[in-house]
Amino acid sequence: MSSILAQLLLNGLIAGAIYALVAAGFSLICSVMKFMHFAHGGVVAAGAYFLFMFSQWFSPVPAILLALVTTVLFGVFMDWSVYKQLRKRHASNAVLLIASIGLMILTTNLILIGFGADVKTIPLAQHNPVYTILGARITLIQVVIIATSALLFGLLYYLMKCTRLGKALRAVADNNAIAQTVGINPSRMYLATFILGSALGGIAGMLIGLEQNLYPSMGLSLVIKGFTGAVIGGVTSVHGSILGALVLGMVENLGIWYLPSGYKDAIAFVLLFVFLLLKPEGILGKRFERG
Amino acid sequence: MSFLELKNVCAGYGALKVLNNVSLRVDPGEIVVLIGPNGAGKTTVLKSVFKLVDVYSGKICFQEKDVRALHTHDLIQLGMSLVPQGRQVFGSLTVRENLEMGAYLTQDNDVVQERIASTLLQFPELKPKMKDYAFALSGGQQQMLAMGRALMQDPKLLLLDEPSLGLAPKMMQTVLNRIKKINEQGTSVLMVEQNARQAVKLADRIYVLEDGKVALHGGKDILSRKEIQHIYLGGR
Ligand SMILES: Nc1ncnc2c1ncn2[C@@H]1O[C@H](COP(=O)(O)OP(=O)(O)OP(=O)(O)O)[C@@H](O)[C@H]1O
Ligand SMILES: [Mg+2]
Repeated sequence: MSSILAQLLLNGLIAGAIYALVAAGFSLICSVMKFMHFAHGGVVAAGAYFLFMFSQWFSPVPAILLALVTTVLFGVFMDWSVYKQLRKRHASNAVLLIASIGLMILTTNLILIGFGADVKTIPLAQHNPVYTILGARITLIQVVIIATSALLFGLLYYLMKCTRLGKALRAVADNNAIAQTVGINPSRMYLATFILGSALGGIAGMLIGLEQNLYPSMGLSLVIKGFTGAVIGGVTSVHGSILGALVLGMVENLGIWYLPSGYKDAIAFVLLFVFLLLKPEGILGKRFERG
Repeated sequence: MSFLELKNVCAGYGALKVLNNVSLRVDPGEIVVLIGPNGAGKTTVLKSVFKLVDVYSGKICFQEKDVRALHTHDLIQLGMSLVPQGRQVFGSLTVRENLEMGAYLTQDNDVVQERIASTLLQFPELKPKMKDYAFALSGGQQQMLAMGRALMQDPKLLLLDEPSLGLAPKMMQTVLNRIKKINEQGTSVLMVEQNARQAVKLADRIYVLEDGKVALHGGKDILSRKEIQHIYLGGR
């Protein structure tokens, strides 16, 4: 295998792992809440910027923990302050979708006000040794990205399949009204969903922040990638979304074997449209008919 | 003492009022059957008990306790379970997970596993399917699963919405026999049925719902009335 191909595959895996973390949270929220929470991108960006902020004042471990907690609170606050109020008024999913786009723009602007338009670098990652596998270079941070993602996907799988909470979340995603009749409190499940989803998003943001520069609208581009991955895999299937996002990362990076790297985003959108047109339920997503 | 009691209930969907002063009751140990034409509001009656529709006025009491102030998810704690219309199982969960969710409020896993075992005694056809996803079951099996799930919380009152809908005659008879058995073991039943002929054989009392109102109620004998015969029993 040529070292360039190995490098592109590795880059694809790294990008895919990040997209998959974004997609997992996005699709978890989408499957339970039944609307597209595009402001999830804002939560991802918040994770990166909170880590930037706290790492000025604290050593790495407390900075990461504080950033995670604040990001989760931020995500939960979005739900509580906006979505929950709309749900109380029986808002349609279209209204919630528009609200989520508004929240996404608002978050970008809040970051702009708070941190300025210039790019930021998180100072935690000064020392970043480089390793070589099959001729491809990988940094320590990139190893951490892949390992953390793999660990989180394993934990998420266990949570959704084997715990009472995970099964209840899937039951609500499947049929909310019936889930209530067996005694599942939907408000608690919504809260759990936003906590889990925002934690996944926040961790994705922190990992990206360690690898790349921070800029105010970073969340928007990431949520689009996460969303595209989710569509490829099946929006309401968390596992499918993870798979789809990995595919997206790979395709994007292998694509620039042939195309100039500026075409990366174009590749993502072409894939998005192809799947929306030809296989809107995605690779693993199923359409369950209701009687 | 009546078990479940609805008094002058008006309910519907937002601005659309469907039930108009519906009163009915279920006494302990009874099987009460609710019949009526399509769109009469039978499902809405069961949903109003479970707060799945808007209840505008009237009283709904279970064991003398007003349940209108409670949330849907609190009702099962009082001892009421619902088997909704149209075999609504959690399709993306396995059969075992569906049953586990029926006992969601039971924290003790040993108790849950015991209940699953006793539910499987009542619905043995589910046993070989425990690991299958519920969407892959046949209609009759899904109905059994929906009933099994409702029994997992060990209810005192079971509300069933057209349990025999769309089932082959033989399967229908099986389902009705199971309901009878459940009742004999001490669970009261409020059942909506289109298939009145079969269902009323089990009934202690019958309510006929028409256009959101209780048109008639009484013992089995009300079905011998002419006007009922051809409307509800397909006697034409
Ligand atoms: N989700 C809903 N939103 C608005 N209106 C509804 C809804 N569900 C039912 N309705 C209306 O309420 C009325 C009664 O419906 P309901 O489902 O209670 O009838 P039913 O007696 O159970 O009929 P069937 O025998 O067909 O199940 C109907 O006119 C129907 O159009
Ligand atoms: Mg009905």
